[in-house]
Amino acid sequence: MAPSEKALTKLLFADTEGRDLTRLSEYEEVGGYKSLRKALKMKRAKVLDELLAADVRGRGGAGFPMGRKASFLPKPKESAKPIYLVSNADESEPGTFKDREIMARIPHMFIEGVVIASRVIGAKTAFIYIRGEYLTEFEILRDALEEARNAGLVGPDVLGSGWDLTVVVHRGAGAYICGEETALLESLEGKRGQPRSKPPFPAISGVYASPTLINNVETLATVPKILEIGGAEYAKLGVEHSTGTRVFSLSGNVANGGNYEVELGTSLRELVYDIGGGIPGGRELKAIIPGGSSVPVLTADEVDTALDFDSMAARGTMLGSGAVIVMDDRCCMVQLGLRVAQFYMHESCGKCTPCREGTRWMVSILRKIEDGEASQGELDLLLNVCDRILGNCLCPLGDAAAMPVASYVAKFRDEYQRHIDEGGCPFHGDSTLDHVMAPVDQHHARIRAEIEVPA
Amino acid sequence: MAPEALYDEIQTIAARYPQRLSAVMPALRLAQERYGWLPPDAFREVGEALDLTPAYCKAVASFYDMFHLEPVGRHMIEVCTNVSCALVGAQQVLEAFEGELGVHAGETTEDGEFTLRTIECAGGCGWGTVVSVDHRYREPVKPEDVPAIVEELRNGSE
Amino acid sequence: MSSPELVTVTVDGREIQVPKGQGMIETALEAGIEIPVFCYEPRLGAPVGACRMCLCEVEGMPKLQAACTMTAQDGLVLSTAQTSAKAAEGQNAVLEFILLNHPLDCPDCDKGGECPLQDLTFRWGPSATRMRFEKRTFDKPIPVSPLIALDRERCILCYRCTRFSETVAEDGQLVAINRGAGSVIATFEDEPYRAHFSGNVLELCPVGALTSTTYRFRARPWEIQNVPTVCGLCPVGCNTWATTREGKVARILSRNHAEVDEGWLCDKGRFAYGHLKADDRISVPRRRVRRRGFEPVSWEQALDEAERGLKEAGGPVVVAFSGGETVETATAIARLVKEGLGGGSALLPDTFHPALDRFRAPISAIREADVCLVFGDEPVVERAPVLDLWLRAARRAGAEVVTLNPAGSAALRPGSAAWAAAQLVAASPAEELRDAKRSLEEARRIAIVWSEDDPTGGAHALALAESLGDKASVYLIPRTPNGRGVAAAWGDPGTVPEGELGALIVSGDEAAGNPDVRDLAERTGFVITTAMFESEGTLWSHLVIPGTSYLERDGTTVNLEGRAQRQRRAVAPPSEDELAFFAGLARRFGVEVDPWPTMLPDDHAALPEVEEQDVAVAAPKAAAPKRRQGLALVRYRSLFSGPAVERVQQLQFQRPADEVELSYEDASARGIAAGSTVTVSSNGTSRSLRARVNRRLRKGVVRIPSEHAEGLHDRVEVKAG
Repeated sequence: MAPSEKALTKLLFADTEGRDLTRLSEYEEVGGYKSLRKALKMKRAKVLDELLAADVRGRGGAGFPMGRKASFLPKPKESAKPIYLVSNADESEPGTFKDREIMARIPHMFIEGVVIASRVIGAKTAFIYIRGEYLTEFEILRDALEEARNAGLVGPDVLGSGWDLTVVVHRGAGAYICGEETALLESLEGKRGQPRSKPPFPAISGVYASPTLINNVETLATVPKILEIGGAEYAKLGVEHSTGTRVFSLSGNVANGGNYEVELGTSLRELVYDIGGGIPGGRELKAIIPGGSSVPVLTADEVDTALDFDSMAARGTMLGSGAVIVMDDRCCMVQLGLRVAQFYMHESCGKCTPCREGTRWMVSILRKIEDGEASQGELDLLLNVCDRILGNCLCPLGDAAAMPVASYVAKFRDEYQRHIDEGGCPFHGDSTLDHVMAPVDQHHARIRAEIEVPA
Repeated sequence: MAPEALYDEIQTIAARYPQRLSAVMPALRLAQERYGWLPPDAFREVGEALDLTPAYCKAVASFYDMFHLEPVGRHMIEVCTNVSCALVGAQQVLEAFEGELGVHAGETTEDGEFTLRTIECAGGCGWGTVVSVDHRYREPVKPEDVPAIVEELRNGSE
Repeated sequence: MSSPELVTVTVDGREIQVPKGQGMIETALEAGIEIPVFCYEPRLGAPVGACRMCLCEVEGMPKLQAACTMTAQDGLVLSTAQTSAKAAEGQNAVLEFILLNHPLDCPDCDKGGECPLQDLTFRWGPSATRMRFEKRTFDKPIPVSPLIALDRERCILCYRCTRFSETVAEDGQLVAINRGAGSVIATFEDEPYRAHFSGNVLELCPVGALTSTTYRFRARPWEIQNVPTVCGLCPVGCNTWATTREGKVARILSRNHAEVDEGWLCDKGRFAYGHLKADDRISVPRRRVRRRGFEPVSWEQALDEAERGLKEAGGPVVVAFSGGETVETATAIARLVKEGLGGGSALLPDTFHPALDRFRAPISAIREADVCLVFGDEPVVERAPVLDLWLRAARRAGAEVVTLNPAGSAALRPGSAAWAAAQLVAASPAEELRDAKRSLEEARRIAIVWSEDDPTGGAHALALAESLGDKASVYLIPRTPNGRGVAAAWGDPGTVPEGELGALIVSGDEAAGNPDVRDLAERTGFVITTAMFESEGTLWSHLVIPGTSYLERDGTTVNLEGRAQRQRRAVAPPSEDELAFFAGLARRFGVEVDPWPTMLPDDHAALPEVEEQDVAVAAPKAAAPKRRQGLALVRYRSLFSGPAVERVQQLQFQRPADEVELSYEDASARGIAAGSTVTVSSNGTSRSLRARVNRRLRKGVVRIPSEHAEGLHDRVEVKAG
C-alpha cells in the first residue's frame, strides 16, 4: 500500500466514496441513523458510558474530553431550567476548514450526533451556531434537517420515543470570537458576542442561564461512529490520551491542501509529505503551524512530531484546531507575525483591556520592525507586551495572539534581528506574505473609529 | 419594502427561539437583505419588531463583519488574505480584482455594482486563494481567473 | 431564613471569616484591603471581569484571577498587589494598557482630582510611557445630550455606562458600537441620550469620558464643599450631595441611601438646581399698592403688612399648600392659623389614609418582592422615578411585575385602579385579573404601588394589602415631594367654606399656579403668597414673600415611605426663608414657633419599624369604568415639568414631546402612521400633535402629557393630518 493510503484512516468519511451522503436515503444505506436507534433503546447513562470509554476529546481546539464535559450537566430532573445542546459550527480559526467539509459532505452524521448527544443530556432544544459565511453549508444542513424531520428523526416524538427535539440552526455574522464558547452563547442569545467570565461554566449556566453542553461539529459527528463500533473499540484507535481519528486541515505551501482524516498519533511529517505531497516548487520547508494560528510555531526540524495532544504539548505548542499550515522558505517570519497579530486585532471583541489595547500595540511594533524602523529595545518591548497580555485576559483570544507571535520571535529571532540590523525586511519584497493587505488596513468608510495604525 | 411585512416575518423568526432576543441576528440579516445594507431605518424596524431600541440593534449589528452599516455594492467580492491564502498568493488575487474593478480593497465601484474587500479566514484554507462572491466560495482563485469572474458577474442576473 | 455558612479566606495574609459566596472585593475590604477596580459595580449586576484591574494571585491557580468575579470559598488564599509581585506586575500591565491611548488631558479634564484612573496610576501604574505611536484620536467632546459630553479618547471602555443604560435604567440608549479597539460608546444616530436617568453615567464613569455639561470647567475637587442633603423635587427623597463653590450650587451628586435610592438620581433631581438662578426669581418681599402695582418692602415691613392684613381679614382663613414645604414651615403655618388666627381650612395636595403606616416598608424592599402590583394611570417613572428603578430591579431578580394601567401587562381601562384593587380582594375576580390573583396567592412578599392621585389616600390599596395579610407592603406615591409631611403638620384639612374668604395663604409656586387656588383668591380679601418665581399667581396677591428652594433651607421632609429626612441648606437664599417668615408672623399673633428645624441625627435616615395600629381600612366601593364612545384620554404629568425644570435650559430637551400615544389598532384603523401629524379634538378644542404608536397601549386609549393636553376633555377623537 502506498504510504499515503495507509496513513488515511477513514472513520467519519469511511463511506463517502462515490456516494452523496447529504441525502438521507444514501446515508441510511451505509448504516446511517442506526446509532440513533440504538441510543434510543439504551439508558442515557449507558450511552454516556460509551462516550467516556471512547475518551474522545473535543475537536474544536480546547480538547476537553467530551464525555466528561457532558457529565458536568445536571440531570433534567435536577434542573429547574431546560437543558440545551449547542453545536459550535463557527469554525473561524485560520487554517481550519474541516467542519465545513463535514457539514457539506456528511451532514446527516453530524445531525445524528447532535440528536444522540441531546438525548444523552436530556435536551429538548439543540442549537447549531454556524458561521454566517458558510452559506452553502447552511443550506445543505437546512435541507438535511428537513429530510430528518420528515423522517421523524428530529422533531416531536423522535422515532416514536416520546422525546421531542427541536433543532434550531442559527447563523453567525462574521466574528471569530463567537467561536469561543461563552461568546457564542452571548451571540446566540442576541447580544454582542463578548465572552463571559467562568465560572459559572456553561454546563451549569449556559444559553439563557440554563445548563448547556457545547460541542464542536466534528466532536458530535464522531458520536454515531462511537456508538456503532463501541467506545472501547474507538479508544483503540489513536494513542493514549488522544484516541480516535481526527480530520486535519492541511494548507499553505503544500502540494495537496485539503482535509484529511487520520488516526491521532500520526506523524506530522507523514501528513505534510506523504498525504500532503510535500512542498511544491522545489522549495524547502521553513516552519509549520500545527494547530491553527493560535498555537506556537514549529520549525522545519520539528516536523517529526506526532499529531496528538501530548506530543504537541511536549513541543511547547498545541494540537489546537488541527489546522496544519505549512510555510516554505519564502515566508518572512516578521510578516507572519504582523499578519497574525492583525488578525487578532481585528477579531478582538474589545471587552478586556490587555487584548483590546495589547493586540493593537503588537501590530504597531511589528509594523515598525517590518519597516525596518524599530530599535533594539522595541524587539524586547514586543516580547514584554506579549508577556503582559499572556494570562491576563478574560478569554483565550489574548493568549492566542501573544503566544504565537512570541514563538515566532523565539524560534526565528535572527530574522527579527536582521530587520532591525538591516533597517528593513531582508526578503526585499520577495516574501510570500509581503504587503498582504489585512482587513484592519484596508481603506473603508465604515463607521469605525479612526483606529488606523500609523504606517 | 413595506415595514409591516418585516414586522410579521420577524415575529415568525422570533417564535423559533425560546427567548425572543435571540432573533435579533436573523432579523438584522432579513432587514439587510431587504435594504441591501442596514440604514438607520432598518434598526428602527428591527427594534420595533422585537421591542428593542434602535441603538441596541445597531450595537449588535456593528459588532459583526457581515452586517453593513453603510451602502454596499450589489455584488460583494471578499478575498481572504489570512495566512494560508496569503501564502499561495492572495495578495496578487486581491490586486487583480483591484485592477479589474478600479477600486481599492474596502471600496465600492462608482456604479454601485461591486464592493471589494479583504476578509479574515473564510474556511477554505487548503483550497486557497478563497474568494467569497456573494457568499458563495470560489476556490482556488488565481489572479488570471479574476477577469472571467468579474465578467460573469457583470453579465449575470441578480 | 437560615444564616449563611461562614468560610475562612485569607487576603494578603489576613484571615477573615465571611459568608460563603460573598464577593472577594467586599471580602478584601472587610479585611482592610482595597483591591483596585474599574468595571466592578455591584449595582450593575453580576461582575463581568472586563477591565482586569483587579487581577490578584490565587493560591493553586497558575494565572492571575480577576478578584471581582471570585467568591469566598473555604480555604481561598488571595494575594493582591500589596503582597504579590506577580499581581502588582499584572495590575501595572493593565494600567499601562489603559493609558496607552489615554490622552494627557488632566489639566483640563473635569475628573482631575477625583479620578480613579489618576489615583490608581499613582499607586499601581507605570511612571512613564513606552508607547511611541500616535494615540488614537476622536473628535471631542461629543454631545451625548445637552447634559452629557462624551470624550471617546478618555474612555477606557469599562462599559459601566452601557451596562447602566441596559440593565438598570433599561433605556437601551447608550451602547457600545463596533468591536475591539474600534469600539466606542454612542447613542443611536447621534440622537441625544434622552431618558430619565441619563445623568447617573456621569457618576459611574471612572474617568473624564462622560462629563456634565452643567459642571464643565466650573470647579476643582479641592475648591468645593459637599453639603449632605435630600432632593426636594419628588416624593422619593433621594439622598444627595449638593456640591457648592463660592456660595453657589455647582452640581448635585448622589449620597446613596441603600434603602431609598441605592445611589441613583433622576435627571430632574440631578440637573434642576439651575432654577436657583432663574431670571424671574423673586428676591425681595413686595406688597400691592393700588390695583395693579407692587412696591418692594423690607422684611419687617412685610411682616407688618401681613399682620395688618390678617388682623383686618373678616372671614375664614384658608391655606393652599404646594406640598414642597418643610415640615417645620408647614407646622409654623398650621400653628399660625389654628392657634393664632382661630382656625382655618386647607387645600392639601395629597391625602393619606391613617392606616398607611401599617403597611409601610423601605423602597428597597420592592426588590425582594415576588409580586409587584402597580396601580394607577400615571407611569411610576414620571411620578417617583427612582422607585421605577426598583421595580425593574425586582423584575430582573425574578419578580412578577403586574402593571394595571392602559399600557401595562394587564391593559385596563383608564380609571380602573380602584376597581382593579377591589377585584383582587374578591374571591372571584374579573377575568382579566385572574392571573394576577393567582400570582398573589402564591407570592410570599408583595409590593403594592399606587401611582395616581387618590382622594381616599390609599384606601383601596390598603384594603387589598389587608386582605393579603402580612405579606404586602403599600407604596402610595403622592403628587408632591413632602405631601406626607405637610399633611401630618396640618392635620385634618377641614372644608373650604363657600362665599367670601377673609385670608388666603398661598404657599409655594405650585399652589400659586393652581387654577383652583386662583378661584379662591378671587373671593378672598387678603392674599399672602410665598413663591420663588414670577407668575400670574403673584399678580393677584396682596403680599408676596420670596420663596426658597429645597437647596436653600434646612428642614424635615417626609417621603412616600413615611421616612423623615433632613434637608440642609447648601446655599443662602436671596432672602430669609419661609420658616423665618411664618415663625415671625406667628409670634405677632402670640404663637411661639421654633424657627429652627428639627434635629435629625442620622445622615441616612432610618424608617422606623411598623407600629401596631388599630386603624380599620374600609375602601369605598369602586365601579368599573364604563365603556364609552370615542377614545379615552389619559393625561399624565411628565417628570420634566414644573417651575424648576422650566427654568433650566439644559433640561428642555427632556420636556415631553408634543406627542399623542395611540394603540396600534387605533392608529391603523385611522390610517395614522407613526410620526405623522394628527389632530386631537374634543368639544370644540383641538390640538395638533405627532402620533406615536405604542403596541402595548390598550385599544381605545390615547396618552398625552398634561402640558400638551390642555383644554381637551376625557374623550377625544384623533384624525390624521
